[in-house]
Amino acid sequence: MKAGPSISVRNLTKDFRIGLKGLKLRAVDDLSLSIPRGQVFGLLGPNGCGKSTTLKIILGLVTATSGEIAILGLPSATPAARARTGFLPEAPYFHKFLSGRELVRYCAHLSGVPSNRVEAAVDEALALVAMAEASERLVGTYSKGMLQRIGLAQAIVHDPELVILDEPTAGVDPVGAAAIGRIIEAMRVRGKTVVLCSHLLGQVEQVCDRVAIMDKGRLVLEGAVEEVLERRDRHVLTVADLTPAALAAAETALAAHGARLGSVTHPRRSLEELFRELVTGSRDA
Amino acid sequence: MKAALSRCLWIARITFLEAIRQRFFAFLFVLGAVLVLSSSAIRVFDFGHSELKFIADFGFGGLFLFGSMLGVVMTAQLFFAELDNRTALTLLAKPLGRGEFLVGKFLGTWAVLGVFVIALAGLLGVMLGWRAAELAAIAAERRLSPPEFDAAGLGLFALLQWLRLGVVVAMVLTVAAAARTFLFAVVVGALAVLAGQLQWLSQDLLLKPAEAGLGRVALWLLTHLLPNLQQFNLGDALVLAPHQVQDGTLPWVFASGLAYIVAFLALASFLFRRREI
Repeated sequence: MKAGPSISVRNLTKDFRIGLKGLKLRAVDDLSLSIPRGQVFGLLGPNGCGKSTTLKIILGLVTATSGEIAILGLPSATPAARARTGFLPEAPYFHKFLSGRELVRYCAHLSGVPSNRVEAAVDEALALVAMAEASERLVGTYSKGMLQRIGLAQAIVHDPELVILDEPTAGVDPVGAAAIGRIIEAMRVRGKTVVLCSHLLGQVEQVCDRVAIMDKGRLVLEGAVEEVLERRDRHVLTVADLTPAALAAAETALAAHGARLGSVTHPRRSLEELFRELVTGSRDA
Repeated sequence: MKAALSRCLWIARITFLEAIRQRFFAFLFVLGAVLVLSSSAIRVFDFGHSELKFIADFGFGGLFLFGSMLGVVMTAQLFFAELDNRTALTLLAKPLGRGEFLVGKFLGTWAVLGVFVIALAGLLGVMLGWRAAELAAIAAERRLSPPEFDAAGLGLFALLQWLRLGVVVAMVLTVAAAARTFLFAVVVGALAVLAGQLQWLSQDLLLKPAEAGLGRVALWLLTHLLPNLQQFNLGDALVLAPHQVQDGTLPWVFASGLAYIVAFLALASFLFRRREI
């Protein structure tokens, strides 16, 4: 039985003291959030809106000025809570002298994977992120996309219930970003809760069940993706082979029922969809 | 407890691998080795010291000087590399305590310094043993008593120097845990080591009768809080004049060295506990 939210944040506030006079900069302002288990949750907002600070507070890397946070029912910032959490920081940097496999093995040991399970866990994580072939290469030789994927592998090697990804697609080409999107989907299928911070709104829309939008440290919107995007006062009909006569007849019929035709346009596909249709892969996809 | 130890050892292992690749380590190691090897060439300018003591002083000096430089700079560098490169973000988001992270950094850096001490002390031992054998042959021809050289004493001295460097690493880690920049950690760490090296002066001054005042309080604090790093310099007594070390001295030096390491690491963990990464 799944009980309680994966992450519960109540009235979280974080002030940074800046300069010699100790002026306060409020990075997070009275944030309350509940992230359900087993869902992909998008935490969105412009740069500097407090997303990364919120994630760092959740993980105990930064202390909150006030507020309460629980991870999987445990007080956050405790090793017990972090043992069930995986984290990929923004623009991750790893020891370049280690191979991908050595890095993931190192993280497996730090994450408490039993010694007799480490190799199997490393193989599984590398396979999930499609890095098994490149795992013997030094991390210093990896492309940006490969770095993000090996970062994902170190985050999930201990099979955490909660995975927090801070900008996992930053600097990655669309094909690499799509690959990361597929990994997130795979984690959802395995029942993991994924918290995703990203500026790739198209991908967030595709992979997330719920989203929250922050601005200037405050939560401005939170809800299921379908709910928040739906404009319930508008409707879209997609019609094939529309002739001028049919259009005129439709307008007349709609007017007879008090409805009004707003616009007639051709449906568009996104540039990302077009790009992915035309480009089949890259070296590190 | 076993899991915590395992995590500390993994941090130590990666720290060791990172440190051993640094050019700074190789540079100071080569410099120290050159200093030890050159002692046999420079001894022709003997300034009245016995030959063995001259060679030994060169080796002890190299170990002390380059070991201290390595201890201060490498400790601060390895600590700040984790913060500046943001690898600490990944590591500290795992079920790893801040104290475990620091102990791991300490053990990794101390292990590198152990390699440094063993290599230089080994080189010094070869130089001293070779020259001691030559001088013993000459002394036998002249029916004189041979010069004394105790290889086991040199091993003990190397162990003491390693312990001294352990105290240095723990001190610098304490400074780094509270410092904002690498440069600050290096400068203050170096000053702390220098103060520890001169701590015996404050002990002497404290023994002299004087009026109570702020200066005396400062002296008392300096004497009781800073380790006396000079107490590890028993090279002459251990290597060239065996059996001159008083009973109880070595156990006391070892115990106090270990106690300072534990105390500094505890303080460093406390300072690092709430640091924002």
